[in-house]
Formats: sequence, structure tokens, C-alpha cells
Amino acid sequence: MLGMSRAGLAERWTLFVGALLSVTLGVALVQSSLLLLISAATLDGASADEAAVPMLGIVLGGAVFLAGFVISSTFAFTVDQRRRDLALLRLVGGSRRQVRRLLLGEALLLGLGGAALGVPAGLGVMAVQTWLMRRFAFVPAGFTGEWRMWILGVSVGTGVVLAVAGVLVAARRAAGVRPLEALRESGPAARVMTAGRWVAGLFFFGGALALVIVAPHGGPAGGQAMAMNVAMPAAVAVVAFGPLLVPLLARLMPFGGGVLGSLARAAVRDARRRSASVAAPLIVLVALVIGNTGAGASFTASGIDEVARSTHADFVVEGRVPAGSVPGVSTVSVETSLPAQVTVGSGEDQETTDVTALVIDPSAYAAVHGTPVDLRGRAVARGPGGEVPSSGPVRVRVAGADLGELPVVAAVPEMLSGGASLLLPTGLVPATGPTTSFVTLAPGADASSVGSRLTSIGPVSTIGDWLRADAELRNSTNDKVLLVVLGLGGLYALIGVVNSIVIGAATRRREFAEARVTGLTRGQVVRAALLEAYAVTGAALLLGLLAASAAFVAVLSTTSAVTGVATLDLPWPLFAAVAALILTVTGLTSLITSWSATRHPPVTLLAARE
Amino acid sequence: MTTMTTTSAAVTLHGVSRVFGRGPAAVRAVDDVTLDFPRGGWTAVMGPSGSGKSTLLHCAAGLERVDTGRVLLGDTDLTAAGDADLTALRRTRIGFVFQSFNLIGALTAEQNVALPLRLAGKRPSRSVVRATLDAVGLADRARHKPRELSGGQQQRVAIARAMVTRPEVLFADEPTGALDSTAARTVLDLMRAMADAGQSIVMVTHDPGAAARADAVVFLRDGRVVDRLIGADAREVADRLAAWER
Repeated sequence: MLGMSRAGLAERWTLFVGALLSVTLGVALVQSSLLLLISAATLDGASADEAAVPMLGIVLGGAVFLAGFVISSTFAFTVDQRRRDLALLRLVGGSRRQVRRLLLGEALLLGLGGAALGVPAGLGVMAVQTWLMRRFAFVPAGFTGEWRMWILGVSVGTGVVLAVAGVLVAARRAAGVRPLEALRESGPAARVMTAGRWVAGLFFFGGALALVIVAPHGGPAGGQAMAMNVAMPAAVAVVAFGPLLVPLLARLMPFGGGVLGSLARAAVRDARRRSASVAAPLIVLVALVIGNTGAGASFTASGIDEVARSTHADFVVEGRVPAGSVPGVSTVSVETSLPAQVTVGSGEDQETTDVTALVIDPSAYAAVHGTPVDLRGRAVARGPGGEVPSSGPVRVRVAGADLGELPVVAAVPEMLSGGASLLLPTGLVPATGPTTSFVTLAPGADASSVGSRLTSIGPVSTIGDWLRADAELRNSTNDKVLLVVLGLGGLYALIGVVNSIVIGAATRRREFAEARVTGLTRGQVVRAALLEAYAVTGAALLLGLLAASAAFVAVLSTTSAVTGVATLDLPWPLFAAVAALILTVTGLTSLITSWSATRHPPVTLLAARE
Repeated sequence: MTTMTTTSAAVTLHGVSRVFGRGPAAVRAVDDVTLDFPRGGWTAVMGPSGSGKSTLLHCAAGLERVDTGRVLLGDTDLTAAGDADLTALRRTRIGFVFQSFNLIGALTAEQNVALPLRLAGKRPSRSVVRATLDAVGLADRARHKPRELSGGQQQRVAIARAMVTRPEVLFADEPTGALDSTAARTVLDLMRAMADAGQSIVMVTHDPGAAARADAVVFLRDGRVVDRLIGADAREVADRLAAWER
């Protein structure tokens, strides 16, 4: 059987190049993300940005998801396109088991080949990811992903497992192919929605729905994490229902009148599984990019809004403004930020977290941030950053000094925009660290004269300028995180899209030839294929947006629950750019593949029949 | 129907019907057909287009399930056989030849011929494969891939592939349908020689010339057997077909 697998691979190389590419890049992406995650996690804690490790965790999770998805959908598609070959094998005495073994054998070869190419490709991917992380200062300048010998085993395993797992369902389905199908020019009207698709679709729909429902109850951090993860299961659910949804929407696309339009429309209607297979990676790409950037931007906007609403001051000074030192000032909240370690529990349950502590004057803090904090003696409060229990004793170390057990007696509301996790009253520790003073003017005081007097203490900004700078910083951090998380994954999904179009066209030579002998020119055939590609792309864009909308629902309910104001701030220019990029890529790929598939005179194709 | 006829026939159809579709759109492709294909004989099945001749062949070969009736290959009831049994039958007792050759393009002529044996888990000796190819006159093209062969040559490779397992019955669906007259004659000569050597052959064709090379011709119309000729020449077959096409 392995010999036949080899012969099959050699013959249908156009189909298999796509499958091999999907395994190679999947292995490369997973390997690189895993090596970087381990390198960052074992890095000296203080030198890496605290966001780096969880972010790389998300990158790795996304890489595994995308690799699994792209590989299995590519493999399923190649198997689907070879039904006739497989039926022929059954006709001359091949058993179902042999068909399954043949396909699994091919998957094994592709998995091994993909891993062999993926390991060196992974080094290239790692160089790009490291560069991105360094450039955005998530890791220190000298950071490099370290090669580990055992990764070879992991990468080979990843390639083989993903390839074999990816083809399992398709192989089972293909083993059921009836020998008679070899004798028919076109396969029978194969059922478009299999039981497996229904089960997978409903399962992932349920998962997405559960996340949407639970997200607003997850608090700021949990809710954000859940909302950011809605797009993935929603996209898989939409893809599972693809054979129903894609042709339905594609038919609604404006085809233009005329014979080419009606040809393209008929092709979309007829080849439902092909349309769905081509649309699948597109839907995932659109859902992930639009869903995650939209959710990220909305949470950032909501956080900015939240800070603006909850900060009641006129000036912000980088430095300590002693109370009563400047005339015309009514309240000053001096806040000094310090690194702290909080230990909860004892014995085996003991858990220590690195947090940021803020040394505050409780009454001034209450006045500026509009939330009452009542701290006396050694009592501390949980800050807007969460992460610390809202009551009970905690063990605190600040700047190397052990403060012993302190009672947490209060908690300010957790904020989407985060902040310090622990609020300490002045006097408990020496407040030596970056200090910010929020200054409120006394009634009738002259803002400009107070402002100029404050400049002697430190850099002064009006509250408006400070909020703008804060918003810019938050936006740029969000953009960087999304670029690192989505950049290469999105590129991989885009390659998956190109792959599926190439595979879809590879087996259409005969269909194109038939259209040409019916009287269509080569240009008309290419144009009809392009129209069809655009209809499927348009449907995929809408369906991707549908999956992304599930994430947006979670964003609205989470921001409303956490900040009191439902916020959705979508980066429309980015969405437009993504749509334009996808339309360009699918259009060009369709043009090139259909032009190449029609390069021989139609007669040679129709006459030569294996 | 006696026990005698059952064992002497290569294939027996007993009250076989096959309906496609449901309700008013239902088509009775094969309608209550009872028919013997004799052992060691070559039977041609003819009929107007849409008469159900291909469906009849598929049912007789166990490729298409029947709605009612029984199909026997020798003494084996195909209608009761499961997928694994039918697969085993295709490897050992049934051979197929089709209009569109259906060779595997990735494999050479030799590999195509050896395929059924290899699927059956045997290691075919080169000499057996070469001898089978030699029998169809293609010993010198063993290393060629299908696309490097002419249509007639491809069909002869397909016949060699069907015959390599020494099947009890060779089913042929329009074996000359895609061939020019010279290539068709070569293929029919080959089949005639096989039948003379005792091979049972069931062939569907629309070509009276091809049907006249068979021992007997069965005519089908609207899924029913309507006529039968034995030892007729091409002119008689054509006249009879024309009469039924009217």
C-alpha cells in the first residue's frame, strides 16, 4: 500500500503540494511558537515584559488550532477531489480498509515530509517572530529563541499527528465510496451535510454560545479572555455548516447579467462542497482577524473611556506634589507604584503572585478616582487590577522587604483598563518608586498659574493630554499584541486560502475544456471562474463577519457588565484593508489557476481519458 | 427454474428490479428481469438508450444493489453479500472492462495489471503479469503509463487487468464504445478468443457489429427483456434493434 501511496503522491502532485505546504508551514509555526514560549518562560523574570509569556501561549494555541484546521481541511479537500480514483480502486478489488490505509499512508508520508521541511522553515519563522517581539519590546534586546534538541521529536510528531488526524475523517468517508462512482463522469449528488458536520457544527456553536453567555460574568480579565476566544469556535461552527451557508450566500452575490454570470451562479450552486471547501480557510481567517482586532480595539476603547470617566483631576504630574505646597490646589492624590509579591494560603495551597502595588492616601485617592477606600493601620485594599483576594489576610513583600501578614479590608471595583492590584496606605513602606500625582484645582483657582507652578515639581500634563497619551499607549500596545498574535497565523491562513483555490481548480481542467468546446473562449472561461471565486469569497467574508459578530456580542455584554457602558469600537479601515487583500489574493489566484488549467487546447483534454 | 439451470449458468438474475428515484419521478431501470447468462458463453445485451442495459449489467456484477429479486454468481447469492464479500468477489471471481478504460494513471501497464492481485494480498510474479499482457498483445508496452498508450491499447491493458485473476465472468460495459473501428476489431477478436477458450462474458453494447461477435444477444426495452437472438450476424442484430427502437 505504501508503494501505491508513493505512486499516488507522484502523480497527483498538484493536489499534494498544497497538502505538503499546509503541513510544512503548520509545523514551522507550532515549533517556533513553542520554542519562543519556552525561551521566554525560562528567561529571568524581571527582564521580559510580563505580557510576553501569556501572549506566546496564545500564539502557540492559535498556531496549533490553525495548523489543525488548515491541514485537516486541505486533506479533506484533496481526498474529496479524488473520489473517482478511489472508487476505481474499489472496482478492481480494493477493500474499504485498503482505501483507508492508502489515505493514511499518504498522510503519513506528507506528515513526515512536512515535518522534514517544517523544522528548517520553523527556524525562519522563529527569526521573524523574535524580531517582532524584540521590536515591540515584549522581550529584551538580547532575547533569542533557543533551539532544543527534543523539538525535533515534537515537530515530527506534530506533522505526523496533524496530518494523520486531519485525514482520519476524510478517509473514513472515502472508504464508503461506492465502486460504481468510478464509472460516472461526475460523482453522485453526494450528501452535502454529513452527520459529522452537523455534530461538529452544533458542538462548536454550543461552545461559542457558552462563551458569549459566560463572558460578562467573568470579570474584566476573564471576560476579555473569553470574548477574545469566541471567534474561533464560532468560525469552526460556520465552516461546519459551510455546504449549506456558502452556496446560499454566494448565490446572492451580484454576478452581473449575461451568460458568464449565470454560468458562475450555476457552478456555485452545483459544486456545493467545493465552494464550502474553498470558503473554509477564508471564513476562519476573516473571523479570527476581524473578530480579534475588533474585540481588542473595543476593549481598549472601553478601558480608555473607563479611565476618563473615573479620573476626576485637572492636572497629572509625574512626581510627588506635597499637599498644600502649591496654592490653588484642592486635592492631590500621590500614587507611587512598587513591585510587590502577594502570597495567599499556606502549606501546599500557598500561592505567590507578582503584582503591582500602589501606595496611596486613601481619602485623596477616593476623591480623584471616585471610589471610597477606607484604610486604617496595616489594612490594605485590593486595587482595580484584581488578582488579590478581596478580603482576608495576605502576605506581602514589597521591594524586598517582608511586610508580614496584612488584612485586605476593602476592594475597589476591578477595571477593564487594569491597574495596581494592591493599594497600600502611606507609612507602611517607604514610597520610593515612579510616582504620579493627580491634582484637582480649588474653586476659582487659575489653571494656567497652577499649572506653571507645578512644572517645578515634574512634567505636568492637563488631564486631557494625559488621557490622550494613555489612550495612545494602550492602543499601540493592543496593536502590537495583535500583530504578534495574528500576523503570522493570518499569513498561514491566507496561504491555506490560496491552497484551497489551487486544489479546487486543479481538478477542473475537464470542466473548463467542456465549456470551451461548447463555445466559450478561454477568456470567458477564466472570467466565469473569477466571478465564481468572487461569489464564494464574498460569501466567506460575510460568514467570517458573522462568526466575528459572535465575539462582538460578547464584547458588548462584557464591557457593559464591567464598565457600565457597552462599547464596540471597530477598526473599519483595517476591515476594509483585510477585505481588499483577500479579494485581491483570491482574484489573482483564481486568474492564475484557471488560466493555467486552460493552457492546453480543450480537445486534447477531452480526448485523452485515463 | 431448476437447480440444473442455476449451476450451469455463470450468472442468474431472478425477478430482479431496480428503481431509481421516488414517487412520480421514479424510473424502473430494471423491471422484473429473469435471465441466465450461460457459463462459457458470450452474451451481448442491447437495447435503445435508456433501456436499462447498463443498470442490468451493474446489478448482475453486484455493483448496484437490487430492490427486489436475486442475483446469483454461480451458486453465490450476490444480493445477500456484504461489502467485504463483494470486494473479495471482485478480486477473485469477477472482472470488469468499461468504455472509459479506467486505468490508474499513476501506474504503468504492468502495475495496473498486477493491481487486483496485489490488492488481494498476493505477490504477483512478473512472469504471470507479462504473460497476461502478452495474451492481449502488449508485452512490449509493460512499462508504459496509460497516457502513453492509444485508446485500443489502454482497453487491452484493462482486459488484461480484468483477466489476471482468471475470473469466472468478465463484465464489459461498451468495451468498444470509445475506440475506432480498427482498435475495436482487435479488442473484439481478443474477446472472441477468450470466449472460445471457455471464458464467460457479459457485454453491454449499442454496436450491432460488436453484438454479432457474441454467442447470443439479449434485447432490453424499458427495463424488460423483450427479445433474444442466437448466432445472428450484424445485419440481423441491427434490424432487430431498429425494430425495438421504433
